[in-house]
Amino acid sequence: MLLEIEGLCAGYGSGGDILRGVDLSLAEGDFVCLIGPNGAGKSTLLRAISGILRPRRGTIRFDGTDVAGLRPDLLFRRGIAHVPQGRSTFPQMTVHENLLMGAYSIRDRGLARERLEVAAAFFPIVVEQANRRAGLLSGGEQKQVEMARAIVTSPRLMLLDEPTLGLEPRASRTVMAKMRELNEHGVTILLVEQNARTGLGTARTGCVMELGTIKLRGEGQRLLDDPQVKRLYLGESAAV
Amino acid sequence: MNPQLLGQSIVLGILTGGVYALMASGLTLIFGVMRVVNVAHAAMIVMSAYLSWMLYRTLGLDPLLSIIVLMPVFFVLGALGQWVVLRRLGGRDLTLTVLVSFGFAIILEGLQGSLWSSSFQAINTAYSLDSFNILGIYVPLVRLLAAGAALALLGALFVVLSRTNLGRAIRATTQDPRSAALVGVNVEYVTTLAFGLGVAMAAAGGPLLGMLFAFYPATHWLWIGKLLAVVVLGGLGSLKGTFVAAMILGLAEQVATVTISLDWAPLVFYLFLFGVLIVRPRGLFGTVARESL
Repeated sequence: MLLEIEGLCAGYGSGGDILRGVDLSLAEGDFVCLIGPNGAGKSTLLRAISGILRPRRGTIRFDGTDVAGLRPDLLFRRGIAHVPQGRSTFPQMTVHENLLMGAYSIRDRGLARERLEVAAAFFPIVVEQANRRAGLLSGGEQKQVEMARAIVTSPRLMLLDEPTLGLEPRASRTVMAKMRELNEHGVTILLVEQNARTGLGTARTGCVMELGTIKLRGEGQRLLDDPQVKRLYLGESAAV
Repeated sequence: MNPQLLGQSIVLGILTGGVYALMASGLTLIFGVMRVVNVAHAAMIVMSAYLSWMLYRTLGLDPLLSIIVLMPVFFVLGALGQWVVLRRLGGRDLTLTVLVSFGFAIILEGLQGSLWSSSFQAINTAYSLDSFNILGIYVPLVRLLAAGAALALLGALFVVLSRTNLGRAIRATTQDPRSAALVGVNVEYVTTLAFGLGVAMAAAGGPLLGMLFAFYPATHWLWIGKLLAVVVLGGLGSLKGTFVAAMILGLAEQVATVTISLDWAPLVFYLFLFGVLIVRPRGLFGTVARESL
């Protein structure tokens, strides 16, 4: 298993636990989509995995070692890339400089150049718009810059938090297609998606999260057909 | 209006503005990365002026050359101060850092008073009174040298921030610390170096201040008001804005002096500042209004 989470509990400040004993494992090459209502703890789970939020209890084993509580920059260097919800480009820097930040932790210059080219091949936009300030791009373009920046180090695990939120349909489709493409190239993906239908349709595996735990896990398509999931998360009334 | 006098005041304004820009640059840098308003910034500049004055009196070291000595020393002290003290203040609590730096300013002022008395000092070198004429415009040599040094150092700072890995990491941390951490930037380490760099810029401003203006321990209160006004006008955290605002301050002071009167020199700039802030609360190039969303 690439990622093994056991009994993970986490919360903010002095507040109660948002994550209440999450158990989740991802094998190399998996593409898992987390769905669930607002406040279920989906974003919180991603933040705990990437180190933005320090877990209170439980273990996060990445590639065999317990990494719970490590700083986000160290986790990134170990191969966990997190594209958080909303905008996270460096808005005043050019697209090219944003991409260069993705290579910040690569010491070998030749290797950095090589990796930058690979990232640019996945996301041609970073070349097309190289000299524009990132903050001036559309939401969909910025999301692609963020994803490009996150893959420069060729991470083994990518966490994506509602990457299509607020994007127009065509940009959404591009972002989803890019995710599939990355997964086909061997990147393990854990996706949080508000639009359950799109998310489960794209990912191989789906997990339903509720009240800080994983409730259900199954093949994406099968979850889509599950009457309970349909009723609760897909906005369809169950057949009486 | 005498056009020659106006030309004179514009030249002097630009030269002085360059020095203001250098003095304010560290303040902007530190605010940008840490959201810390370093009230002790001007006290650090005056401290550096005193040290440069001492180096000149005891060793005969030219104040411009003393910059080379003072910058690394201040860099190390600043970085240490950030690592040992400021880092423990729990990050970005604005009020607390203002209080701490206010206290530090008073400590520096007291230290200067006890070491060098509270009377006026100035760094008077052999060339302090030299000047020359270009097209009828009188240019004091020290002003030209100070402005030249200031612009060279600001240029170097710009190159560091835009062309080096560390500089990009500093800018990235300024714009979005969480995203910087998520691409492998050790934010605490970068913040420490950025704070050291900001303090080193204060060190560079000291000798220039000492060459152009008289100083005494309490002068830093006068300066911090001016420098904060420059930083606010330019837009919190924007170095480009600081540079433009410093030029406006320099020009406004000089031009107001010859066109209205000396009494109006500080007022014109503050009127301009109020005007800009009414129309654009974030300042000329600021982005803080957006970041706070």
